[in-house]
This record gives sequence, structure tokens and C-alpha cells, in this order.
Amino acid sequence: MSPLWERLLRPLPRALLSGASIFVPRHERAEWLREWHAELWHVRKACMPEDYFSWAGEQEVLAFCLGAFQDALCLRQYGSQRANNLGASESPELCILCLAVLLSTFLAAALLLPGVRAVQALSTPEFAPGLVLIYDAGANNDEPTISSGQYRAWKRLRQRYFDGFAFYKVTQEAVGREPDSNTSHAQARWQIGRATPNLFRLMRTQVRFQSPAERTESNMPEIILSEALWKREFGADPHVAGRMLRLGIHQAKIVGVAPDGSWGLPGNVGAWLLQSDSDVLPNGLGYVVAHLTPDGEAEMWTQCMRITVYGPNESEDDLLGVSLGAGNPGPWGVFLFTAFLALLTLPATTSVSLGEYAVCSHKPSWSRRLYRWGFLGAKIALLMPIAYLASLDLAYGCTRLDVTTAVYIQLVASFSICLFGLNWALRDQRQRCPVCLRRVVHPAQVGYASRTFLAWNGTELMCMGGHTLLHVPGLPTSWFSTQRWLYLDSSWSFLFPDSGSPIEGKLISAFPHIDLAS
Amino acid sequence: MAETAKLSHTAAIILQALDAGFVYGFSIMEMTGLPSGTVYPAMRRLERDELIRSQWERQAIADAEQRPARKYYKLTPAGKATLEASRKRYPLLERLIPSEEAKPV
Repeated sequence: MSPLWERLLRPLPRALLSGASIFVPRHERAEWLREWHAELWHVRKACMPEDYFSWAGEQEVLAFCLGAFQDALCLRQYGSQRANNLGASESPELCILCLAVLLSTFLAAALLLPGVRAVQALSTPEFAPGLVLIYDAGANNDEPTISSGQYRAWKRLRQRYFDGFAFYKVTQEAVGREPDSNTSHAQARWQIGRATPNLFRLMRTQVRFQSPAERTESNMPEIILSEALWKREFGADPHVAGRMLRLGIHQAKIVGVAPDGSWGLPGNVGAWLLQSDSDVLPNGLGYVVAHLTPDGEAEMWTQCMRITVYGPNESEDDLLGVSLGAGNPGPWGVFLFTAFLALLTLPATTSVSLGEYAVCSHKPSWSRRLYRWGFLGAKIALLMPIAYLASLDLAYGCTRLDVTTAVYIQLVASFSICLFGLNWALRDQRQRCPVCLRRVVHPAQVGYASRTFLAWNGTELMCMGGHTLLHVPGLPTSWFSTQRWLYLDSSWSFLFPDSGSPIEGKLISAFPHIDLAS
Repeated sequence: MAETAKLSHTAAIILQALDAGFVYGFSIMEMTGLPSGTVYPAMRRLERDELIRSQWERQAIADAEQRPARKYYKLTPAGKATLEASRKRYPLLERLIPSEEAKPV
């Protein structure tokens, strides 16, 4: 072994000990290192000859030092156990920290998942107020009932109740993803809504990825994809605008993506082909979207209104106008609805009381009470965005789901998280000492169930800081129906010599005459 | 710690070694053949359970012998009682490390 190797190996044991000392709790580290360094000196003396280098001796020394890691980890484990005994894991700060971490996780997921990002960008309904869908009163509103001739006639005449009309009809067409794809295997059949060019302007719907400059430069027919089709066929690709499609013998250019969940337009349209009136209207039945004038809005008392159209031969057509935009409320609306529903349901699932006994003479100070309510408020304030983001992640994380399914998933997820979250927040609050807000621990069953009508029966928990005892009745009675806090005065302090830690192994009861069971 | 406390073989051997006069970690390692990663954590547990206690050697003694001061371990009364109970359970303990093998400290 060369002197170089010797020089390299010599400091290694000390380096190992220094590395292992990182795991030792800080306040014990200096003494721990001192002991191991002293032992190392003796190990070296015993194993290493002084006059020559011994590889076997070096190995023994290194093996000795590697044992320091197990020792350090052992000390660390004891340290964390002591911290647990002191109630660190039950502290309010840790609770808030855990909720904040959970919130950050769901927020990060919402920012990373393309489906969730898309729905956040698209879901704000951008309807112009006063939009109605007009259809024949004798038909279902899913069926196209308005002829192109009727539409032309309405549009030509000046109306009292309407100031704008748009028309579309739905056909199923083969669409090629590549402009020159004529083969059947490269084509898919989409529901195409052939619409007059003013449809999106009339509805004032936000079309994503649309570039106004590009629109003016091109004379090619334009296609606006629905959100569902964009996710299904293009994997929510944000660079979809500008791609060419082939419809029959014509080419069309994708100019943007429109939200389909919040539209409420019938026809299950996958993509909108905007064409001139003459191209859309030659014949056939379709759907008419109209915009109400102020007079029309004044007449529209409900979501639906009856419209009578007088024909040229004094004929009357009965039509219905159904308000648009009142359908899907969007993710935020769904969340608000479910949060409200969860608040209504909460009293049926748990007591909303915080366990304060009105007759109790001792009350914590105003600042303590404010701190306690602030803690509950902080928990709920963190829980609500968690519920919103988690439900969004679950509903829109998978881009393959259609909008209706996603809305149902969000509805169920948001309601469940809100309800169970609020339930947990209240139960957690009831189990926290009103003075220091640490969770009470060491439950002790007090009394016997058979003595319910004669004596107290329930569970007793204590605050590790020695402030309070919590009594939870086993069977609620008329005189003891909800949990109660018993505030401990200075006469109890002999039981808690260290305010941070109770005497281990001792069970105390506020009812000394009653047997304690462990 | 009660006399009836359950001790592992390792802990019982370490208590016996301490009682026999092997009072620091490396001497216990040499006597028992146990590795450092077993001996030192076991002694931490025994100290936590108040079966042994540790004390630093006086610096003056170490300086006189030109070596670092070391930490010595000693049985507590509870540790002695537990060792007695362990000897009844493991009769070979005493034969494994007889008291006369004790080294001078």
C-alpha cells in the first residue's frame, strides 16, 4: 500500500463519524461525536500497528465506524419518540402545515395536468345575456325544427323582441386529419355543425387559441373544435390552431377551441364549420339561436317563453324560446353548489358544537378564544381550495372523459371532500385543548355502561400541557349530552411537573371515585 | 424497569459484560464479539430504560495518560436486579462472561 493510499484512508473514519452525526439530534450531537472519537482512538490503538500500514486494521476501523450510523439512527428514533410524547405531532402548527402541503400538491397537479389547465381557461361562460334557442313548440328541443327559409325570413325583417339570429345544422361527416388523406382509415366521422359566421359573435363565446390576424388573412373555411373533441382527437394539444383538415373534397383550417360544457346547444356538435349564409342555408332543418332586445328580455320571465310567428297567409306558428347559458354552471359553480350542500348536510353527520359547556365558570381569555376560532377558520379556509382543486384534478385529469361525466365526477368528489373535510375540521377542533390547541391524548374509559343512569359513563382525554380534561359521554343523556371541557387550575399542577409532558404511565380521572380502565 | 422486564440476548450479554467490569463500548465489543452497530444502540436503549448509566472519565486522568477521555457505563440498581433475573433465565450468561475476567479500568 502506497503512502498515498494511507493518506487517503486516514481521514475516512472521522469523515464517516461526521457523516453519521448528521442523523443525531442536534442537542446530543457534540457529546455523541466526543464519545465516538474517543472510542475510535482506542480502536485505532488496538487494531492498527504503529510502524507499518495494515489493510486488515483499516478494515476493522472502518467497520467500527460504520456502526456509528446505526447508533445515530437509533438516537434519532428516540428523539422523535420523545417529540411525539411532547405532543409535537398533535400541534396545531403541524396540522396547518399538513393541510398546506396537501393544498400545494393539488395545486401543482392542477397546474401540471393539461385537462385541468384547459378547463380552467375555458370554463368561464362567456354568454351574452339574453340568448335563446328557438324551436318548434310541438317538438323536442334536441331535434332540428327550423327551416333555413324561416331563418332567412326572420333575419330579413326588423324584429321587436330579437336583434340577432344565427343558424346551424348538424351533419355527420368524414374528416381527414391530413389535407391529402382520402383513404378511409385516415378519416374519422365527426358531428359537424355548419353554422353561419355570426354564431360565435352572437353568443360572445370565448374561442381559445384564436388569432384575429390569422382569420383576416385566410379565406379558407374555418373550423372551431369543441373542447371534448379537442381532448379526444388531439390530446388537448395547445398548438392545434392552424392545422388543416379535409371535409369531403374541401379543406378547412382549425382556428380555435370552444368550450362545449357550458353551451347548452343541442346537436352534440364536435366541430363547428363557419360558412357563409349561402353555403349553410340551401335547404334542410336546423337550429336557430337568437338574441333578445331589452323588450324581449322584459318579456322573458322564466327560462322558457312562448313565441308566436305570423306567416304570410295569416298562419301562426307556435315556437318556444329557451334561455341559453343556464345549463352547466362550470367547475366553480359546481364547487360552490356542492360546498353549500355540504354545509347544509353537515349538522346531520356530526355535532356542530365545539364542546363548550354553558354552565362552566371558567372561560379562556379573549385572545385564546380568538386564536381557537382563527385556527378553525384557517383549517376551513385551506380545506375549501383543497376540495376545489382535488375535485378538478379528479374530474378533468383524464382528458378522455366527456364533459358530462367530468361534471358528475366533480360534483361527487367536491361534495364528498367538502362534507368529510368539514366533518373532520369540527371533530378535530373538538379534540383540541381550548388553551393550547394541542390534541388531547391518553383516552381512559371511565365508569361502566350499566351505571349510565346512576353515574357518569364515557371517555376522558387530557391535554398534555396540563390545561384541560375532555369528557365525552358514552351515552348522551339529558344532563350530559355533549362533550365538556374541564379546565384544570393550579391545584392540578403537581401532576404535570413539566408543562410539556405529563407523567408517563399515570392515568388521572376527574372522578376519583370511579374506576379507571386502561 | 421491572425485574421481569424482557431482555434480548444481546442486552443481557451487555449487562453481564458491564457487571464483569467491561465498562466502555469498545471493551464490550471485544469481550462479546458483537459489532459496534449492535453494542452502542443497545447501550442507548439500556440507558434510556435506566438499567445502566454513563459517566465521562475525568479529563485530568485522560490527559495524564495522553489519550482522549472516554465514557464509562455502570449498572444501576434496577439494572443489577434485571441482570439477576436474566441470569436465572439464561444460566449460561455467567459462564460466558465470568466476573473474574474483568479488566481493571
